[in-house]
Amino acid sequence: MQFSSSLLEDAVNEFARLPGIGKKTALRLVLHLVKQDAALVQSFGETVLKMRQEIKFCQRCCNISDADVCSICSNSMRRHEMVCVVENIRDVIAIESTQQYNGTYHVLGGIISPLDGVGPDQLNIELLINRVQKENVQELIFALNPTIQGDTTIYYIQKKLQPHSINITTIARGIAFGGELEYADEMTLARSLQNRVPVERFVNY
Amino acid sequence: MLLLINSISLVQFKNYPQRNFSFSSRIVGISGPNGTGKTNLLDAIYYLCFTKSYFTRSDSFNALTGTNGFRIEGQLEHNGENYKAVCILRETGKKEFMLNGNAYERFSHHIGRFPCVFIAPDDVRMITEGSEERRRFIDAILSQLDPEYLQRLMNYNKLLLQRNSYLKSVSENRLKDTSLLEVYDEQLSNDGSYIFEKRKSFMDECLGLVTGFYGKISGAAENIELKYESQLHKLDFAELLKSTRDRDLYLQRTTAGIHKDDIQILLNNQPFRNIASQGQRKSLLFALKLSEFEMLRSHKGFAPILLLDDVFEKLDESRMHNLLSWVCLDNDGQIFITDTHQQRIKEHLETLGALYQLIEL
Ligand SMILES: Nc1ncnc2c1ncn2[C@@H]1O[C@H](COP(=O)(O)OP(=O)(O)O)[C@@H](O)[C@H]1O
Ligand SMILES: [Mg+2]
Ligand SMILES: [Zn+2]
Repeated sequence: MQFSSSLLEDAVNEFARLPGIGKKTALRLVLHLVKQDAALVQSFGETVLKMRQEIKFCQRCCNISDADVCSICSNSMRRHEMVCVVENIRDVIAIESTQQYNGTYHVLGGIISPLDGVGPDQLNIELLINRVQKENVQELIFALNPTIQGDTTIYYIQKKLQPHSINITTIARGIAFGGELEYADEMTLARSLQNRVPVERFVNY
Repeated sequence: MLLLINSISLVQFKNYPQRNFSFSSRIVGISGPNGTGKTNLLDAIYYLCFTKSYFTRSDSFNALTGTNGFRIEGQLEHNGENYKAVCILRETGKKEFMLNGNAYERFSHHIGRFPCVFIAPDDVRMITEGSEERRRFIDAILSQLDPEYLQRLMNYNKLLLQRNSYLKSVSENRLKDTSLLEVYDEQLSNDGSYIFEKRKSFMDECLGLVTGFYGKISGAAENIELKYESQLHKLDFAELLKSTRDRDLYLQRTTAGIHKDDIQILLNNQPFRNIASQGQRKSLLFALKLSEFEMLRSHKGFAPILLLDDVFEKLDESRMHNLLSWVCLDNDGQIFITDTHQQRIKEHLETLGALYQLIEL
């Protein structure tokens, strides 16, 4: 791609670094911004910058947050004895969108997969264990994708929690949603949250 | 109950830019000189049953040289119902498999729907080479009979990769916390024990069949024995993994489990591969494959599709005749047979006296 302006070129290259955005799409977006009012683009840029600089991760559940503790954790109307364990922030958003869940979350930041270089130490598992030990958690609901690595992660955390007597359940997996949690429609997700099942020693396929 | 493939159309599959074949008979002979695409045609049929090639793991190898994708479409018939099976390799390298227009989310769900047995010249490796080929033989049969077996086998293999990768990531003696290893052991034991039990009862059933077929094909009274070798005969899976944990940590891989299973083959009480002649090997190969056929037939209630590649090269006349009459006359399944000599295949099929179709490439 040949550019007559290096300002344009730089901006296109920045956009093209975003996931799912190729050079052509980047050019389209940048040309769109060029046509916009300068003030609008300034606000766009500032919003993005402010988001990145001020965003925090909740010290309690690792969810994305404006403050040290996220709005879900600091909401006294929510049931704090219930913790839904998810892989990432997109899963929190997906489950919140169902408007059917009134407990809290814990974001692991991934699942255990040594093949991908992810062991328990790379995840927010320690924090979860501490949380269960300190807080009055009565039920852990695992909402992980139905994969072998998901199972490994559940069993591992379950093992780590063994001395504590809490309920460990998993949302109805495999049947309720085919594949990724974030792509499940809200109805299905809400249903599988309601129909959660206790984690047996082993999940049967 | 009959399973039949009525036609197949190939686009950019191996040496076929575009070609349609209609199969009008239960017995189909395919003749043509070497390199004309006989084996490739059988492999295309195999694709429709297994969603993959009999010969290579990489789908892209099967696209016509100079192209990146292919399409195989087949019309099948089972139990009086028609099925359209389509396998597409897209230019992007993505593979799709559809049955009656519905794409499978998991290809493994298709396995076993159209059972199929392939006998190819190189299969004799199963007898002469390492244990992997023999495990593959058992797995191919059990996977077609039991979807749970296939699912657990895939799980087991994934778990094994994860466990091995984990063993590599913890350097020796530095493992303070064994929790994750224990989790992997439990998961492996769970799937592995199921696989072991299935393989064990499979081998019990298989033994009688193999000796029977061997006698029929070779015409000789030799004593063939098959023994299922597995570390799990002595210890249950969890104990086994516990007993090898130190070694596993030291060697950084999982040294025990059903991935080490084997079938030991004995001829008159001696290791078959050391003492068997060419002819005896071939007889045994056919005996094993026909046992596969028979096992699938009896459990499914209908005969699998049988793909016989270059079998005339492999057996002498009388053995060949015994074999052919069994597969063609004593069974009602569909059979594809290839040969380089049109006259030879014609004569064989004529003497059987059954209806057949001959395709010349
Ligand atoms: N991906 C491919 N593209 C083009 N030709 C191929 C491909 N794979 C195999 N072939 C060709 O197919 C021929 C072999 O076909 P094959 O079915 O084994 O023949 P036959 O069994 O009749 O002897 C060879 O000439 C080989 O070059
Ligand atoms: Mg050939
Ligand atoms: Zn929080």
